[in-house]
Amino acid sequence: MGSILLDGVNVRVAVDGRPQPKTLLDGISLNLTEQRVGVIGANGSGKSTLLRLLNGLVAPSHGTVTVDGDDTVHAVRAVRRTVGFVFTDPLSQLVMPTGREDVELSLRRSIRQPRERQEAAAAILNRFGLMPLADQSIYELSGGERQLMALAAVLAVEPAVLVLDEPSTLLDLRNRELLRRTLAGLSQQIVMSTHDLELVRDMDRVLVVESGRVVFDGGADAAVDHYRALSAAGLPPVDTAAPRVSASVAPHKAEPA
Amino acid sequence: MSGHDFLLVNYVPGTSPVHRAPLWLKFLVVVGCGMASFLVVDWAVAAAALVLMCALFLSSGAGVRRLFKAVRPILPVLLAVGLFQWWQLGGPVAARIVLNILVCVVAASILTATTPMQRLLDGVVSLAVPFRRFGADPERFALTIAIMLRSIPFIAGAYSDVRDSARARGLERNPRALVLPVFITTVAYARQTGDALAARGLGEPGTDDDDGQASS
Repeated sequence: MGSILLDGVNVRVAVDGRPQPKTLLDGISLNLTEQRVGVIGANGSGKSTLLRLLNGLVAPSHGTVTVDGDDTVHAVRAVRRTVGFVFTDPLSQLVMPTGREDVELSLRRSIRQPRERQEAAAAILNRFGLMPLADQSIYELSGGERQLMALAAVLAVEPAVLVLDEPSTLLDLRNRELLRRTLAGLSQQIVMSTHDLELVRDMDRVLVVESGRVVFDGGADAAVDHYRALSAAGLPPVDTAAPRVSASVAPHKAEPA
Repeated sequence: MSGHDFLLVNYVPGTSPVHRAPLWLKFLVVVGCGMASFLVVDWAVAAAALVLMCALFLSSGAGVRRLFKAVRPILPVLLAVGLFQWWQLGGPVAARIVLNILVCVVAASILTATTPMQRLLDGVVSLAVPFRRFGADPERFALTIAIMLRSIPFIAGAYSDVRDSARARGLERNPRALVLPVFITTVAYARQTGDALAARGLGEPGTDDDDGQASS
């Protein structure tokens, strides 16, 4: 299993109208060696930024990120050969009209001969049971089928590490289960952010991110408990004494005759 | 998202003579139709060319429905152009201009309906190879064209979605309620596509042996 090392990483971005840059991640030091690593946290907590560091899509403002010894800033091409990235919305990831063509696009750099490329793409599509959908327009596929197609296109180049940014957010229960089973069968090291706490239970190690910091790092069950407690603590109080139906939407009463 | 079958026809697998025709010949037909639109001055010749292109399209097995779908989105534009030209220059000139545009659209649809995208990209790469000496990267060139073809239906779909939501709010007559969201959606889509390509290492300059720099 490979090693992903984050050493004293800060990510800051300039924001219009603010004198100081906004801190997205602060003081992150991690060594990720487990096969399945989950990242959970509230919206805007820094999960996506953390994941984007691993593929070089975001560069740290301070500190270093290395994947199997390759620095994500200075050896970004090598890092991207090692780290595949799956986005939340497969429609923005699939750039070809059909799944088959998108898988072939992934293979263009590594396989120059068209016939070999077609055979390799067919093998990948068969492996994921996607062959019957290979020539359909990506717009005609369901959300789950699209996400699996995007996953197949990324796995076509056999990355050692697979990073997934909330891959189940747009999926229904059936497609989420399909994705879960597919991920369970992969040999790659997986780093995945998600709001699906069932999916997190499959992880060997889970990080809880809050306000740009890793506030918990440990086993899945303990991490979920910590996240639940954190979320509950942040909820505003609910006024239980308030009327359930306001006067403006109260049922209309007929006037007496 | 709706409205995604805009203008160009997706590849339809088949073994027709048009499918089997060499790519250079199909390219030549498209370029020829484009050039002919400037040279042909008789509407009857343009009409004959349109009949020929439609016959070629249908002989590929792509079907009348796909042919109509390829042409339908530009019909309002053709109507407006045709009426204006008829008013300005008379019926024969208007008919010639409208027919020539249709010939180009159908010819382009024949190319995309009978050629897999990867084959098309390989062809574009071959055409762009001579420009390598001037610093051009043929693979990037082909990728740019592929993304352009992919983006047209997305933007059409975005417009369709925004128009529906504007209608639902009673704002269908407000141009700002239509244009601004489509513009924002398109810019967001462009950024997401850029990220997706970068994440997959596609469209990067140079060889696989050297390394680039990440962007913050």
